[in-house]
Amino acid sequence: MESIAHQFLPAIIFLTAIFFHTTKKNIDIAMAYGVQSLAVVLILFSASFATHSLPSLFIALLVFAIKVIAAPRFFVALIKKHGLRFSATTYLNFPLTLIIIAILTALAHSKIFLPLTTLTSDTEALSLALAVIFSSLFLMINRKGALSQMIGVLSLENGIVTFALFSGLEQSATLQTGILFDIAIWIVIATVFASMIYEHFGSLNVTIMRNLKE
Amino acid sequence: MDIALIIGAFFAATLVCILVKHRGVTEYVSFFASIVACGTSIVIAMTVATAGAYTPFQFFSIDALGAIALLIISTVGCAVVFYSIHYLREETAKQVVGVTRVRQYFILLNLFLAAMSIAVTTASPMLAWISIEATTLSTAFLISFYNKQSAMEAAWKYLIINSVGLLLAFFGTLLYFSFQQSLGEASFVSWDALRGAALHLDPSIAKIAFVFVLIGYGTKVGLFPMHTWLPDAHSNAPAPISALLSGVLLNVALVSVLRFKLITDVAVGHVFSDRLLMFFGLLSICIAVLIIFTQKNYKRLLAYSSIENMGIMALGFGFGGIGAFAAMLHMLYHALVKSALFLSSGTIFLKYHSTKIADVKGAIAALPVTSIIFLTGFFAITGMPPLGIFFTKILVLSSGITTHPIVTIIALLCMAVLFVGFFKQVTAMMFGEKSAEIKNGEINALLIISPLVLILLVVYLSFSMPSFLLTLMHTVANQY
Repeated sequence: MESIAHQFLPAIIFLTAIFFHTTKKNIDIAMAYGVQSLAVVLILFSASFATHSLPSLFIALLVFAIKVIAAPRFFVALIKKHGLRFSATTYLNFPLTLIIIAILTALAHSKIFLPLTTLTSDTEALSLALAVIFSSLFLMINRKGALSQMIGVLSLENGIVTFALFSGLEQSATLQTGILFDIAIWIVIATVFASMIYEHFGSLNVTIMRNLKE
Repeated sequence: MDIALIIGAFFAATLVCILVKHRGVTEYVSFFASIVACGTSIVIAMTVATAGAYTPFQFFSIDALGAIALLIISTVGCAVVFYSIHYLREETAKQVVGVTRVRQYFILLNLFLAAMSIAVTTASPMLAWISIEATTLSTAFLISFYNKQSAMEAAWKYLIINSVGLLLAFFGTLLYFSFQQSLGEASFVSWDALRGAALHLDPSIAKIAFVFVLIGYGTKVGLFPMHTWLPDAHSNAPAPISALLSGVLLNVALVSVLRFKLITDVAVGHVFSDRLLMFFGLLSICIAVLIIFTQKNYKRLLAYSSIENMGIMALGFGFGGIGAFAAMLHMLYHALVKSALFLSSGTIFLKYHSTKIADVKGAIAALPVTSIIFLTGFFAITGMPPLGIFFTKILVLSSGITTHPIVTIIALLCMAVLFVGFFKQVTAMMFGEKSAEIKNGEINALLIISPLVLILLVVYLSFSMPSFLLTLMHTVANQY
């Protein structure tokens, strides 16, 4: 069980982060976020079983409820409400996007971040988590859709959580509950804002928001 | 117990605002909570000045830096709540906002004040992060309060940019826990514990962690190039919220950066963090100067001035020694002056119905008292003698002139140019022929009280600093 968690699940998280860049359908992005979060939950479950920790199990259940069940439902409801079948376009074309992702992944595996990726023996998992962090940042920069930006923020958070889990930097259950509470509120607020943006601008493409251009 | 009183007062006020629909009750309960917070924070500051840092509960620890920040939050908070009551009454009378929106405003305002109070007094770096993230969540709807397209755009930008910044800060914070093993099995790690064990931290990890923390919290501080949300948010939020964002929230984020700086300094020496602070500080000052000349909106003008002033503080802490002391003083003066300026800008907005500099002419005749407060604030913020910011700027520059002459000279030139740019814009607003539609006279005498009190406080503190405040400032400065 533990070896699966250490080898298979970080790869799933990384692949979903790449998938966010390649898919055009909003519904796919929302579901992929659910899959990515499920992989994080499975790592949390694995860790809680390994340590026989009840608080860790509670956190895993909480993450499952918020990120795997609630968040995708919020996003799907938003997509259906406004008929947002396809996501907004990207600033860079597809081949260039893939090249940048490849560079970012190489950077995560490079010597520059060796102090971080050698925190524990799970070097590959930590490098993949770093690659997820970089790729998620790039998603927010490259995509023009508000929904993609929201998923980018949440994927970034998943990348950080994965890194924390594999490097042994996870926090106490109390603090993790506080962090999760913030994330849950963030999801609600961001979804409400996305809906309001659509009502004001008639689109979730952030490039049409030009009122503040100086 | 005292910190519980402050946080409890804000949460109780929030609860009352949720439960009671009567407007007067929400207003006065909020004001009462801010008065309680203000009084208690003075007691806390005096206690810390005389007896040193103390830990009232496991999750809270109040040191000199926290006490000063708490004092700023509660003082400006009190002025802002009082101003908000009368400002929103004017807006309701003009049917700009409804009663329900006013209630929502006070709910979010109290939550915002509570979150900031927790952020600066908590003993836990993680709880500080959670609280600062909570400030983002509570203020997003305040920025979009007017429900206009531009406000929506500003709020979205604020939410996304700050969330990304704070996640990077979260990652940096986690990296500081990489030497957790040396702290034992304790699940709760305090600032002091992190600092105590910082020698065990791998220097290369400490450097990477500080870069993430500085970029992350630096986004909230408004340091260049992570400042892009700041002018938009400040110019679109209601004036009292802009006052809190600019005068208080930026400092709250800076407090976290400073706490991590101390930990990093133990691990890798102070040169690394000093240089980074100087770099971002100088860049922020320079960019503010470049943009201030072309500003067409007076609230954006004030926002860019905040970027400059946060840059000066970063520069002061980067220089260290007397520079750090000056930066602490600057934090206090800037918070009071900038809040007064934003509150005055709110009254100007109510009179002229525009935030464009071109639309505001002859303000000195139309709003004589508000204009005098605004002008005094302008002179104070640009560092005109004999007001306090003049001395803090001189002290920051003098502390850097021998060790970093080029940085100091560039900063000095930028400050001089900024004064000219700011002066040009402010005189355009204050003098000239006003439109015949604009009647002479203040809108409401109660709108003058908050900015006036803040400005008088700045004038008083410029000439006579209470001993307990001086002690706190010295205690903080001695650490940097």
